Amino acid sequence: MLLIDDEPDILRVLSRSLRADGYEVSTAASGAEGLAEFEHTHAEIIITDIKMPGMDGIEVLKRIKLMNADTEVIIITGHGDIDKAIEALQYGASDFINKPVRDEALSIALKRAGEKIDIRQRLKEYTQNLEGKIEFATRELRRRTNFLGKLIRSSYEGIVATDEDLRIVVFNPGAERIFGHFQEDLVNNRSLAEILPEEMNALFDRAMNAERSYKEVPWREASIESKSGERIPVMFSGSILVEGSHKLGTVAFFQDLREIKKLQRELVHSERLAAIGQTVAGLAHGIKNILHGLKGGRYLVDVGIAKKNNEKLSKGWDMVKRAIERTSDLVMDLLSYSKERQPQYEPCAPNAIAAEVCDLVRERAEQEHAELVCEFDPAIDQVLMDPHTLHTVLLNLLSNAMDACLFDEETGKRWQVTVRTAAEADGTIRFEVGDNGTGMSDEVKEKLFTSFYSTKGQRGTGLGMLVTHKLVEEHGGRIEVETKLGQGTTVSVWLPYRTEKRTA
Amino acid sequence: MGKKVLVVDDDPDVRLFNTTVLEENGYLAIEAENGEEGLQMIKSEKPDLVILDVLMPRQSGIRLYRELKTNASLREVKVLILSGIAKKTFLRSQQALTEFGESQVPEPEFYLEKPVDADVLAATIKKTIG
Repeated sequence: MLLIDDEPDILRVLSRSLRADGYEVSTAASGAEGLAEFEHTHAEIIITDIKMPGMDGIEVLKRIKLMNADTEVIIITGHGDIDKAIEALQYGASDFINKPVRDEALSIALKRAGEKIDIRQRLKEYTQNLEGKIEFATRELRRRTNFLGKLIRSSYEGIVATDEDLRIVVFNPGAERIFGHFQEDLVNNRSLAEILPEEMNALFDRAMNAERSYKEVPWREASIESKSGERIPVMFSGSILVEGSHKLGTVAFFQDLREIKKLQRELVHSERLAAIGQTVAGLAHGIKNILHGLKGGRYLVDVGIAKKNNEKLSKGWDMVKRAIERTSDLVMDLLSYSKERQPQYEPCAPNAIAAEVCDLVRERAEQEHAELVCEFDPAIDQVLMDPHTLHTVLLNLLSNAMDACLFDEETGKRWQVTVRTAAEADGTIRFEVGDNGTGMSDEVKEKLFTSFYSTKGQRGTGLGMLVTHKLVEEHGGRIEVETKLGQGTTVSVWLPYRTEKRTA
Repeated sequence: MGKKVLVVDDDPDVRLFNTTVLEENGYLAIEAENGEEGLQMIKSEKPDLVILDVLMPRQSGIRLYRELKTNASLREVKVLILSGIAKKTFLRSQQALTEFGESQVPEPEFYLEKPVDADVLAATIKKTIG
């Protein structure tokens, strides 16, 4: 505490009484001396007389407040100095006391000043504390945002998020890898519709515009078109980001399936090669039988010629012809099974091809007393599809169905082979070939596609269903088999098609 | 009257070939198109020789051969196996059945692998039953 008064007696009396109260007190006999002392001691409380020669109390007050606004300044005034006292309060004095200074008045003023200092101190501590907390929270928030940002960036999955107007706001490196677009070209700039195929956009539009319930799009296989125009197979899922009832935007996740598809293709290929390897033994057997037939045919022809026996001659010749047929079947199956082939899309009418194949087997059906039923969906128009695939697949299935009737030992059955076509909602055409013949045991069904296997003895190459399966796969379709031993088999094949490209 | 030979094979062309060879060489040929039918005809027709295929529907040659060799009254019927299956594979199949607890059967005396020329077939038949 600093005491400033030009009257030494007052200085002496007051400082003694204040020291007795426990204050640390320094004194100054003039305003100038007081300011010098303040610079030195930085007293928290200053008590100054208002009327002093040279620098008066008001001036001291102003200067002190300039140096440290937090300093408490108590002014001592004489009688009739009320105007000065008010001026002092305006300049920031904390209190004033009248002369002669009474201990009681002084201690009240000091107590008030002490409280003010105290409050200011607490306020200061509180403020500092608050600043610390804000700084900590800010740091934490930044850390978490960074963490989330890194999480999104380092995800191998492609992540694309949009705002409520479906404008892209997040496009991570995973998405860059899949789509071939760069984040800086898209974010805040382009809409989702510009990079996604129509059907995916439709999902998001529907979900965003749905009145109440929104739908998550569960993981599904789809394909997108990259910047360079490449079709890229992806696993895709999406959902709407919601806070309360407000839709914030959308997020979509993409997994690149190129590598997986490639591995799958390689696996299928190597399995096929392995199957061919296994088949060599089976094939050798088949070929031996065919050769045996050829030798038999030659022998009969020789005998027929030698003895001029036309019956033997023609039987022998038939044997040779059958052996040639069997050789041709075997070689063609083997070729089409071991060769990679891309479907050749051509304009064709699936119903017409199905009818053509039916015509090919109609005579055989009549011989074997099987009724051939054709039900073609008239809604199926000309489409782009591989006619060779369709022809081979249908012929294979149809001759299997015939065989299933032929091999059926149940007598008194009215055998029936049915061929149906149907346009499906998912953009495929379903071809169904059914029979009410032998059906398959679980064991046979299991071996249907996987290994070289035939239940037809000499007649089968053991490759028919493998070839069928391979052709359907290459065409992007799928195949399903329903069968019951003794009751028959229905094979359904779904083949996707393309519609005629419009030429400008 | 020539000796009676039963041809058991599911392939009609093979049956036609074999029976023609037999008839041209003075034998009486009869046919069965699977193992089951073959066994019945062996019992009813008592042929001097059975020309037997291995891979057939409704009882294979492996099973029929076993049946013949373990049946006291049929054991003496001569068997010529004529198959696309190698002899080694045939023996391995029989071995496997024996290991599964079935009785041991002797190796077939006469075994021809398809394809076979008519003269070889005729010579082999002659060797078995004269």
